[in-house]
Amino acid sequence: MPVAAGPTGPAGAAAAPRFPFRRGCPFDPPVEYARARAVQPVCPVTLWNGRRAWLVTKHEHVRAVLADDARFSGRFGQDGFPTVTEARVAVDRDERAFVGMDNPDHDRFRRMFTQEFSVPRIRALEPAIVAIAESLIDEWVAAGPPQDVVATLATRFPSLVMSALIGSPHADHRFIIECAVARHGLTQTPDHARAKARELAGYFRRLIDAKEAAPGDDLVSRILREHVLPGRLTRDEFAEIGAMLLRAGHDTTTNMIGMGTLLLLRDDALRARLAAEPASIRRAVEELLRYVSPVQFSPRRVARVDVELGGVTIRAGDGLFLLLPSANRDEAVFPDPDRIDVDRDNARHVAFGFGIHQCLGQTLARVELQVTFEVLLRRLPGLRLAAPLAQVRFKDDMQIYGVHNLPVSW
Amino acid sequence: MKVVVDTARCVGAGQCVWVAPTVFDQRAADGVVVLLQAHPGAGDRPYVREAAELCPARAIRIEDDDPKEET
Repeated sequence: MPVAAGPTGPAGAAAAPRFPFRRGCPFDPPVEYARARAVQPVCPVTLWNGRRAWLVTKHEHVRAVLADDARFSGRFGQDGFPTVTEARVAVDRDERAFVGMDNPDHDRFRRMFTQEFSVPRIRALEPAIVAIAESLIDEWVAAGPPQDVVATLATRFPSLVMSALIGSPHADHRFIIECAVARHGLTQTPDHARAKARELAGYFRRLIDAKEAAPGDDLVSRILREHVLPGRLTRDEFAEIGAMLLRAGHDTTTNMIGMGTLLLLRDDALRARLAAEPASIRRAVEELLRYVSPVQFSPRRVARVDVELGGVTIRAGDGLFLLLPSANRDEAVFPDPDRIDVDRDNARHVAFGFGIHQCLGQTLARVELQVTFEVLLRRLPGLRLAAPLAQVRFKDDMQIYGVHNLPVSW
Repeated sequence: MKVVVDTARCVGAGQCVWVAPTVFDQRAADGVVVLLQAHPGAGDRPYVREAAELCPARAIRIEDDDPKEET
């Protein structure tokens, strides 16, 4: 066994508590984050395998590390790269998409895909996205209340949008979600996580073959024509990136829709305001992104050299978690951070990360969230929770936070 | 105010186009930033500052920015 790598700084073993922590309030990150920001903003923790890693809790430090590719590496699977589960070790080691690469490789691959998610491209898709949301609410209205937001809207809406963009059959969305959950859970076995990751890449590989035989007006056909056929991207590389897009496009937006809807249902004044002034929904979405920050244990980095940060010395080879939910509640940047305030200056939130790996699909996510809340509030003004809050199950068992169910009526 | 973009650093996240669409665009071929106005007018400047602040790749630089000179 190699000697466990990890921070060996001033704090001893007793001062390196086991990570992850549990939430107290389901709407706030673990209280340990706020304590760390006040007392020791870069602090050591002990992981499931006994290794150490650093938590980076302040907005300033999170942005600084994520923007500093010279001193911090984001390459998945390297020695010292921190993990929250044994299964995550397995999927990190197998990761072949640019989410797990450093530059120059990262930019070379990412740039083949950026135009698919550019602001002009997503703006052009917006009418189709609105039509999908309207059709789902039509189904709700036809079926009548109660409905489960998670099962019938939050999972199906991003899935239908991704199907339209990528060209994948919507009927496969349950399989895609199953693969995303196998990666993002906290309780799955390494074999299961790895098998589902391979299945999803295999699924996308078959989709590539199908589109090569019968091209359409979709992402797969365009990438084939522009990058695969000219020899810049292999079909297998495309399959790995495609699997990443499918996972990311389903799970994160789904959880923001579920949590965002719940937060709106708990705040009558905010709901009334957004219904009266739809233009303020854009600001509300940014505030909900800041407040919810669904991605819990990413991004991660390994220090390439010794670095002084937040009063501690991080040694070359040490792993770091950049805690987005903590950075987004940093009182130095967002006063009274645990309050939802649509009028606050929230543009600097890091719910999509920062640096070269910042979310590729962020514009799509923003538009999907704006459209969902606009359509919900306009079509169903009487929308309300159809069960006590105690019956809503929160995703404490997942790496992407949200709700498992959300029964509503109107 | 003069705006300078570094197309080699840009990762096409689109934040600048999202907040300041009259000043920034994205290339159709690869999503990399396109500067529409190097000397934005007073009405655009707050959004340009926000875009520079938000750029995840630090690919937007502002020169000769005088916040008092809003003409």
